[in-house]
Parts: sequence; C-alpha cells; structure tokens
Amino acid sequence: MNIINIQDLVKRFGKFTALDGVDLTVRQGEVHAFLGPNGAGKSTTIRCLLGILRATSGTVTMFGQDAWKNAVELHKRVAFVPGDVNLWNNFTGGEVIDLFLSLSGSKPDRAKREKYLKLFELDPSKKCRTYSKGNRQKVALVAAFASDAELFVLDEPTSGLDPLMEKVFQDNIKEIKKAGKTVLLSSHIMSEVEKLADSISIIREGKIVESGSMAQISAKAQGRTLEELFLAEYEGR
Amino acid sequence: MFKKLGRYLLFITKRERIISTIWIFSMVGFGVVFTMMYPSLFKTDAEMLSMAETMNAPVMKAMCGPVYGMDALSPAIMMAQQCLLWFMLALAVMNIFLVNRHTRVDEELGRLEMFRALPVGHLTGSLATIKFAFAVNLLIGVFTALGILAVNIEGTTAVGAFAYGLALGAVGFVFAALTLLAAQIFSTAHGVTGFGFMVLGVLYLMRASGDISGSSLSYISPLGLGLKTEAFYADDFMPIVILLAEGIVFSVIALFINAVRDHGTGVIPARKGRVYATKFLQSPFGLAWRLTRGTAFAWAVTMLILGMAYGSVTGDLDAFLSGNDMIRQMVEASGAGQSIIDSFVGMIFSIMSMLAAIPVMLCVLKIQSEEKNGRLEQIFAKSVPRVQFYGCFTAIALVESVVMLFLPAVGLVAGSNGFLPLNDMLKASFVYLPALWAMLGLCVLFVGVLPKLTAFVWVMFGYSFILQYFGRLFDLPEWAVKISPFGSIPQLPVQEFSIVPLLILTVLAVLLYAAGQWRFYRRDIG
Repeated sequence: MNIINIQDLVKRFGKFTALDGVDLTVRQGEVHAFLGPNGAGKSTTIRCLLGILRATSGTVTMFGQDAWKNAVELHKRVAFVPGDVNLWNNFTGGEVIDLFLSLSGSKPDRAKREKYLKLFELDPSKKCRTYSKGNRQKVALVAAFASDAELFVLDEPTSGLDPLMEKVFQDNIKEIKKAGKTVLLSSHIMSEVEKLADSISIIREGKIVESGSMAQISAKAQGRTLEELFLAEYEGR
Repeated sequence: MFKKLGRYLLFITKRERIISTIWIFSMVGFGVVFTMMYPSLFKTDAEMLSMAETMNAPVMKAMCGPVYGMDALSPAIMMAQQCLLWFMLALAVMNIFLVNRHTRVDEELGRLEMFRALPVGHLTGSLATIKFAFAVNLLIGVFTALGILAVNIEGTTAVGAFAYGLALGAVGFVFAALTLLAAQIFSTAHGVTGFGFMVLGVLYLMRASGDISGSSLSYISPLGLGLKTEAFYADDFMPIVILLAEGIVFSVIALFINAVRDHGTGVIPARKGRVYATKFLQSPFGLAWRLTRGTAFAWAVTMLILGMAYGSVTGDLDAFLSGNDMIRQMVEASGAGQSIIDSFVGMIFSIMSMLAAIPVMLCVLKIQSEEKNGRLEQIFAKSVPRVQFYGCFTAIALVESVVMLFLPAVGLVAGSNGFLPLNDMLKASFVYLPALWAMLGLCVLFVGVLPKLTAFVWVMFGYSFILQYFGRLFDLPEWAVKISPFGSIPQLPVQEFSIVPLLILTVLAVLLYAAGQWRFYRRDIG
C-alpha cells in the first residue's frame, strides 16, 4: 500500500515554477530517501504534502486521502521535523515537546518522552533561546519520535547533529521501521542514506530525475560509489 | 586586561554607525523642536504661571517632576522642567539597549568568544563599550545644549543650556554603567534588558514619591538627581558631578566582576525552566494566549494608569486648560459651547481609544510574525485547523478590545475620586468598540490576503491618530474624517449618540474578518 502518493504535482509561485510535475510514491514500512541539490524542490514538495502550501495542480495523497483537504485529520498520523527548527525563545525545550505532542493529538506518554530525551541527551529545562541548532533539532526529533505517528516526514533532520547523535538518530529510524512505520527522509548525508534507505527519489529543478529501490540504484551505479552517482544526477549528467 | 582597546572601540563605533547616529540625531532633534514650540504655548506671564501651578499639583509632579523657579518663570525654565525627565527616560532606554548589545548579547550569541580567542584583553570589550556609551551620552548632552542655545528662546542662558544638556547626558551614562553591571550579574541578554527596565521603573517611582513628599528619595534616584540641576534657574552642576561619579563607580564594580567571573556565566545563574508544559499551554488557544499575554498585560496596566492620571487632573481642569493653548484649542474645536469637562472627557477617550487599538492590532498581527519566523508551518504540520488557530488570536484580540476600553474608563473614575460618573465614562469609552473591531477586521484581512503588506494597517492607524489628535484643529472635508474608523464615532458625552455609524463599522468589521479568514484558510503558509 502506498502511504504517500504524489502525481504530476505542479507548484508555482507567481511566474516561478518550483515543482514541475513531481511523481513520488512511498510504500508502507519503507524508508524513502528524498535527495536533490539545494533549491531543487525537496522542501516545497514536503510542504505541499503537509498542506502548508497549496498545490497548483496534481494529486497529493497520504494514507489514500487528499493531503490538502484532510490535512488536520491526517496530521494526527504524521510527524514532521523541518531542517530549520524555529522555536519560541522564551519556551523551554520541555514545553515545546509537550506542546508539539498535544497539538499532533498524541496520547501523553511521559515514559516515552523521557526515553528519547535521554537518548538525545537533551536538557528540557533550558529556554530555547539558549539551544544551538543541533539542540533545536533534538527538540523536534524528540517530539516526533515520542508521538504516535505512522508516517515520519523528515526534512534534513540531522544537519546540526554531531556523529554520536547521528548514530542515535539512525538507530531510532531503524526501530521505527521495525515497527512497520514509514519514513520520508530528505537528506544530504550520503552515509545516512546508504545505511537507512530502502528506496530513493532524486529531484532536480522541480522534476524527479531518478527513482527506484536501493538495489536498482546500486545496479545503476556500475562500480561508482553512490555519492558519485548522486553527484552526476545532481549535475544532470 | 585592556589590550587592543583602541581597535575595539573603533570596531564598536563601526557597528554603531547607524543606530547610535539615529539616536543622537533624534534625541537632539526632538530636544530642539520641543524647545522651539515652548514660547508659542504661553501668550502672557499669567498663563505661564497658571501652567506652572498646574504642574505643581502632586499628580503632575509625580508624572513630570518637580517645579522650580516660580519667581522667575521663563519659557526656557518651563521647557526644562517639563521636558528633561522624558528625555532622560528615552536616553536611559537607549543606554540599556546599547550596552547590552555589546556585552551580554554578544556573549550569549558566542561572538565575544571569538574575540577572546584573539590577542584581545579580558576586559577590552566591557571597557570599550562603556567608553563608547560615555562618548554617545556626552555628544547628545553637548549637542542638545548647543541646539538649545541656537534656538535661544526667552530665558536661555549658556550655563543653563549646558546644565540641561549635561544633566541629560550624565543620567544616560549612569544607566549605561548600570546596564554594564547587570550584564555581569545576569547570564542572559533577556535578563539584562528585563532588569534594566525594572530598575528604570523603580527609579522613576522613587523619584515620583520623592518629588511629592520632598524626601531624599528623589536624590537617590538618578532621574530625580538630574532634575535637581534646575536648568536656567539655579544651574547647579553638583548633581552632574555626583551622577558622573556614580557612573564611574558602577562601571568599576562591573569591570571587577567581569574580571573574576567565567566567560558565559553571570553572578546569578540562569533560572531552570519548566520541564513540562502546563495543561493550558497544550492547546492552540493556550499557545496563542502565551504568545500574546505579555503585550496584553503591559497595555492593560498602561491604560489603567493613564486613565487614573487623566482622572486626577480633571479636578483642577480649568487651570490645566487655560495654561495650555494647544490643548484648549483642541478641546474647543471638539465641542464648542459644551461643558469643558465633557469636552475634556470626549477628547481623552478619542485618544485612549486609539491607544487601546494598538494591543488589539498587535494580537492579530502576532500570527503573522509567527509565520515570518517559520514557526507557523510547524504548527500547521500538526493537527491544528487553520481557521481555529487564527480564530484564537482574533478571539483574544476581541476580548482585549473590551478590556482596553474598560480599564481607562474605570481609571478615570478612580483617579477623579468618583467625580466622574462610571456609567457615562463607560458609555463614552465603549462607543469606540466598533472602531476597534474595524481595525481588528482590517488586520485579519491583511494577514489573510496580503501578508506582505501588513505595514499598511499601521499607515491607516497613523492616519487615524493624526486625525484624532490634530484633525479637528483644521477644517478637513467630511470624507477625510470618515475614512478613519475612529473619525465616524460620535464623541460622547459632547456629541449626539447615533447608532448608525456603529452598526456600519460592526458590519464592516465582520466582513473584513470573514474575507481575511476565508483567504487565510486557502493560502500558502510561509
């Protein structure tokens, strides 16, 4: 079953075409890596998926339902971590996590919350003002992992994490996968993608230029490393 | 300890070239403009004397400072005793931000750390900052003195002009030094600003209490001490010397603490925050309230105090009005032939209603600043309906519109010791509700439809404000007045009550609200 189904998605901002017919399907229980150079349209696609931006044309569904019309209901089953986590300076990390969990309709589960706070070594009593970029990402990650979500939409979630935390992140993704949950992971970190992804889509200039399972992509690489393959795709060679 | 001080000073100067220049120009500019206005305020010496007597009432002394030189009144003296305190307050605010910007803010953001890694002295940053602040305050003081000399209104003396300007600068310097000290004590920039404003408030109240009772409290408060120079009359420079000494002592203590403390810490460690969110915060409404309550409380208190202040002057209203030409003209224009108290009440509420609109508008616009800062998309990525969340902000704004009009009316009654009837005051105040709602609707419309052009609502507000304040002095065409929602409201108790404009404004507000919400539901976020 397809958890995410995007067909011929077009998004224009005035005259500028950000997405020019994007197709993307993510099956249940897989980790789908979403790659592409900066400005290619990854975040725009994700924002359309989350009903933050309204598609100019095309169909976008999650769990078989229209992602725009049913956004509020659908979001109970989705956890989102943006690449740039902007928080309220005068809220503590703990307050934000509780707020995010309750706004996504998750059952409050203190034990679960404490578990992820400990794993990510985050002090929830500090004001967000004092958090580094990495710590702000941890706040969003803890809120995401501690939720009851079935689909995780992660937009460059680890760009500020240190290698130790990167490892914690990867372990958690594997655990989610074991539980049969689905992940859409946009990332620039090749090692992360290689370790986690079951399938891959590459976007360039608002179009999907490559898509397939990890095995198919590896076959295409023909002796090149994945990184070399991606670079070639990014540059359009 | 102080290595590379010169280079660092140059660096601060470069960073400050715009902000501090604007401050210097506006402080001096407004000082000169206000001075120029004074001679035209009083036609006769008798008017001047009655004005001074009004200012000598306890409430006015508490607000504006003591009155001196009754035996030798001149426009220069009137200007000095009415203006100096306000300029001191403004300059204190400037210094709190200026010093914090280069000390605790830099430290918190990790900028100072980079300098500490260079061959730069341990205390270079702090010393350079206080030196720079001293220079800015000195410039403002000297330029203000020169500006006053250049305008040369009646009663101006060179000694007096410098007593005035330097007292201003010296008070500014004391606040710079106090902020430097606060930057060592508190470990967050937020804490430093908060402490700075709290101290400013306390010192203002100490002075108010001292000025009423004649106690030594006004000498302890730098604000009160600065006023003791009695510019253009006694021209006493001793307070200025004491203020400078205070500033230097505070600076030295601050530098000493800075030398012994660790980088990134304060004498008082950062307070531990809540580990869990309260039940209330865990809802869209709780979030909206948390984001807007600070402004709401601050305005509520301000509106109440303003109401009480106006209420207490209604007692000796006649003296107050005959002492000030401009206010009298405004009052007469707003209701010729009516009882002067009624006119005064009408005028107060026409101004208070404008002030009441500000928090209401800010509350609606808050959701847009959340959007600009990239937080709104995270909220809407959760299971939060757009219309409902936007509705939370407008609901709070709606309640604020009632509260912000209620409080000044109550304040007015309380301040006048019940001389003004509560019923009439509430009517005169609440008649502006539809105007506030229209402004609220306008904000909802802009956030929904043209989020990039929300500044327009402030243009509309500014137009209305000027119209309310000065419009009735000029003969403006009817339509120019009616464009402003406030312009079409009948000024009670002077003007006849009429329900029609109120109904029109309310319907308009609902339509604007509906259009804004409709569009907000459909548009892109971010």
